[in-house]
Amino acid sequence: MRPIVLLGLAALAFSTSVFANQKVVVYNWSQYIPDGLVAQFEKETGIDVEYSTYESNESMYAKLKLMKSSGYDVVVPSAYFVSKMRKEGMLHPVDKTLIPNLKNLDTNLLNKPYDPNNQYSIPYLWGSTGIAVNGEEIDPKSITSWSDLWNQKFAGDVLLTDDVREVFQIALAIKGYSGNTRNEKEIKEAYELLKTLMPNVQAFNSDAPRMPYLAGDTNIGMIWNGEAWMAKEETKHLHYIYPKEGAIFWVDSFVIPKNASNVKAAHAFINFMLKATSAKKCMEHTGYATPNLAGRALLSNKVKNSPIINPSKEDIERGEFQDDVGDVIQIYQKYWNMLKTGAK
Amino acid sequence: MKVKGFFAVIAIAIVGSWLGLFIAVPNVLVLITSFLENDPQGFFHLQFSTAAYHQVFDPLFWRVFLHSFEMSFKAMIICLTIAFPFSYWLCQFSSKVRGWLLFLTIVPFWTNSLVRAYAIKFILGKKGLVNSTLLFIGVIDKPLKLLYSEFAVIFGLVYVLLPFMILPLYASLEKLDKNLLSAARDLGANGLQRMWYIVIPLSMPGILAGCLAVFLPAMGMFYISDLLGGAKNLLLGNLIKTEFLSTQNWPYGAAMSISLIVLMAGMLFIYYKAAQHVQKRGEFDV
Repeated sequence: MRPIVLLGLAALAFSTSVFANQKVVVYNWSQYIPDGLVAQFEKETGIDVEYSTYESNESMYAKLKLMKSSGYDVVVPSAYFVSKMRKEGMLHPVDKTLIPNLKNLDTNLLNKPYDPNNQYSIPYLWGSTGIAVNGEEIDPKSITSWSDLWNQKFAGDVLLTDDVREVFQIALAIKGYSGNTRNEKEIKEAYELLKTLMPNVQAFNSDAPRMPYLAGDTNIGMIWNGEAWMAKEETKHLHYIYPKEGAIFWVDSFVIPKNASNVKAAHAFINFMLKATSAKKCMEHTGYATPNLAGRALLSNKVKNSPIINPSKEDIERGEFQDDVGDVIQIYQKYWNMLKTGAK
Repeated sequence: MKVKGFFAVIAIAIVGSWLGLFIAVPNVLVLITSFLENDPQGFFHLQFSTAAYHQVFDPLFWRVFLHSFEMSFKAMIICLTIAFPFSYWLCQFSSKVRGWLLFLTIVPFWTNSLVRAYAIKFILGKKGLVNSTLLFIGVIDKPLKLLYSEFAVIFGLVYVLLPFMILPLYASLEKLDKNLLSAARDLGANGLQRMWYIVIPLSMPGILAGCLAVFLPAMGMFYISDLLGGAKNLLLGNLIKTEFLSTQNWPYGAAMSISLIVLMAGMLFIYYKAAQHVQKRGEFDV
């Protein structure tokens, strides 16, 4: 009799939450999730979340590689890092039966070359890098292209992101090459072009990209569209421009590292983030576009129709999504160091 | 006696294992890594190679080295110019007041240096405190570009490292025998002569220690260069950080940091020799 009672009690205890006493360790970009969403997940599922953030794909990758793809349960790399980590066997396959909310996603953003059939990754948000202009100082209509950054009147004023791939993609786009080129000759040409931009460069920013614009330190330069969106809360004058040579596009996806210890809870977290209401909040807060159609349907027209978050079809076609370049990254890095140190 | 011996052993064991675990072992690992082969798929490859050291002799490394040497040197000289009169002035107070003044010097440094670097960013910005004040009193009519420059990097280095100059200087100036100064005055030496022939030579070990404590860390403070210099005025630390984090060429990064350590050791050796020289001369004079 007694064991049966105990079993019954145990069953009762488990029924309140299958995840009681479980945890999930989430490693995400900084400022890339709305306030309160993690707490809501904890409340709904009973899973504790350990949350930490990173500033670049490279530092995230270095950490995971060093920890033999363990220590974290959910990570959010950009597509070209999904591809790299997938090829290096650092990822755990996603069990789609545990993520019923997958049905909410736009199929146009699934099954891409960086991860065929989304075996290892589920897209979270996508966005772009374009040009930011302070309308108080510079007429935003006069800026239409990446090459406008080379204009002599912006000497010492232009802000670039401190990201080798993004900065090279500008020059490669102007030259008409792919931003994902593995051809050293093309990279070198891009370097030569970027060298002529250096007198205009004020800084390679490693802060939140909107801050130097808000602080009034710079009036023109590169920015991520979500940052331009967030800056709208503080100023009306920051304009976001899709350059005619094409903006830089990226997708960031949820992945589960190969040796994650809480795989089930990781799936629960991803499934939660794919709920229509979660996706809506993410897009409103971060200013990046969600691939979640059910979530989009809940958005106000202001967000749904914002050109900052939602590039036109032509803008997308002109732009280019980032992809992995393999070992060639060391060639990029070599020219990047030369650029920053002003080598002859 | 026995108990005392026991505590001594424990104390030494704790300090020894602390130093061993957090200083010796990591440095040995860096040394080993610097002699391995680069592997883009996983930081390094377990294969002996000196390729990384060949890369150190790349002109790029030396350009960054010279530039960060120059910036760190300037920061060191500025620190010395500020800290020497300050420490000298500090020693003129009674020991109770001195304690308080020293305490007040240290208080700002309880705030993390990264946070202070961000604060400097706001102060030096185009719409920051310095520019708005200068604009207000009419000294300038257009904001100065102070941020994202070599000036900003040196300013940041001086601010962060100043106490490392003040403390050793204070320690050696405090020990200065005031009777020597009185004697010199009686013998007709003026203020400048007393300073040049007595105070400076006797505080030389403090000056050298302070200079090293400012100069060497300055070469590695990558976040100061990232935040205040706009990642254009690179310090050697930036180059090392990039190799470890972005390029994932650990042997090259390790070889650069070993080269820096060797360089530092060389300078410490010079310091040691100089200190010896000063001491000998002191004995001679007495």
